[in-house]
Amino acid sequence: MLEITNIHKSFGNNEILKGVDLQIDKGDVVVILGPSGSGKTTLLRCINFLEKADQGHAIFGDIDVNLKTASKKQIHEIRQKVAFVFQNYNLFNNKTALENVTEGLIIGRKVSKDEANEIGKKALDKVGLAEKYNAYPSELSGGQQQRVGIARAVALNPDIILFDEPTSALDPELVGEVLTVMRNIANEGTTMLVVTHEMSFAKDVANRVIFMDAGVVVEEGTPKDIFVNPKEERTKKFLKRVLPEDYIFYI
Amino acid sequence: MSEGLNYQFLVDTFFVALSGVPIALLITIVALLIALPLGFLLALTRINRIPVLNRFAQIYVSFVRGTPVIIQIFIIYSSVPLLLASIFEKYNINMNVYDVNPIWYAFIVFSLNTTAILIEVFRSALSTVSKGQLEAAYSVGLTNVQAFRRIIIPQTLVVALPNICTATVNLIKATSLGYAMSLQEITLRAKVAANVGYNYVEAYIDIFLVYLILCSLVEYIFKLYEKRLRRYKAVNA
Repeated sequence: MLEITNIHKSFGNNEILKGVDLQIDKGDVVVILGPSGSGKTTLLRCINFLEKADQGHAIFGDIDVNLKTASKKQIHEIRQKVAFVFQNYNLFNNKTALENVTEGLIIGRKVSKDEANEIGKKALDKVGLAEKYNAYPSELSGGQQQRVGIARAVALNPDIILFDEPTSALDPELVGEVLTVMRNIANEGTTMLVVTHEMSFAKDVANRVIFMDAGVVVEEGTPKDIFVNPKEERTKKFLKRVLPEDYIFYI
Repeated sequence: MSEGLNYQFLVDTFFVALSGVPIALLITIVALLIALPLGFLLALTRINRIPVLNRFAQIYVSFVRGTPVIIQIFIIYSSVPLLLASIFEKYNINMNVYDVNPIWYAFIVFSLNTTAILIEVFRSALSTVSKGQLEAAYSVGLTNVQAFRRIIIPQTLVVALPNICTATVNLIKATSLGYAMSLQEITLRAKVAANVGYNYVEAYIDIFLVYLILCSLVEYIFKLYEKRLRRYKAVNA
């Protein structure tokens, strides 16, 4: 469904992505792990054209596109298929929770206002914010804001949702509510590509884990492959650092 | 003057000064209509570092901010007629340069001046709206224009409004310099009335009051509008 080949991206002289390939099938929940600076976020942003890749090719369903030379129209088409959940939520500050969710439907996709409101309310109900339709982002906690962010992505009914460290900006006690929502939508069969440091989410929810370091994919496989039998030295080192000493992996 | 203030003159001249308000407001509104969009666009060229335009805006702002308005008026008021005269001559247009209503020069001076001020106002306001807002708008499928109209501009306006208010009030007050172009605005009308009997103190008090009332009203209207725009910031912000 989504196939990306040979993405390269540099910021100045600093090469962040050094030829990354990625393939995602419908219904996949793919988690990308890796130390900070390894290019995970940049990869996600290049897929959605928030950064322009220096080189690379992508196939989104029936759209076949060069990531460097994509036209405005192609970018617009791809953004209709791909939703994005940001680390800092990035809710529209001047819009209520419901308006945040319906904005992309009404303006971006020309859905009628009534229909969009119905879809939007359903999406907010799903993330447990039925009481907060008319709340502005400034009236919501971080966890609630991120759940609106997820509802905004879900409501668009995209082919895939990209999550860029969705819990990294949250207070520890708020992480759980967001992860629960993500588990729920994963269980519904949503295709997801998630950059996260939440090992438990990767272990329990992902069907594939990718370990990236220094701009390349070091290793990929099932959660069991990566967590129990990592082959590469860099993967082992990383896991040793992020997992508690007595961490026992089980399925 | 020895008998103290001439109260009758004070009252009469107040209305004379008041009759200059429409001209002052007309100049203010025209200048704002031109300067608001132009200032916003040039602020964008500054923020996004668009080559050439960015430098142009920067130099333009420093020229306007670095010179007194009265000098800008003198320059426009004396150079534009010369320019016009040579154009009229070249294309055989039968029109006297000195028949041009000075209000046109006022429009030019105050639009140019206010644009420079608003470039800086919008530049600082735009920089308070995080880049993530634009990215989020793109990610839900909005085009550039839609994103600006629906997300970025409303948020920029809220931040910019207090400074736009200050710029507007300064602009209204600056129109008093229009008397240098014999513009029939508040100050000139009252001063001309005072010339007859040397009632300058009364005239100045009237001018003082008219600007005070006018500017207070404008500030009040801006406050109301700002309150409406800010409602999404009501809580934690």
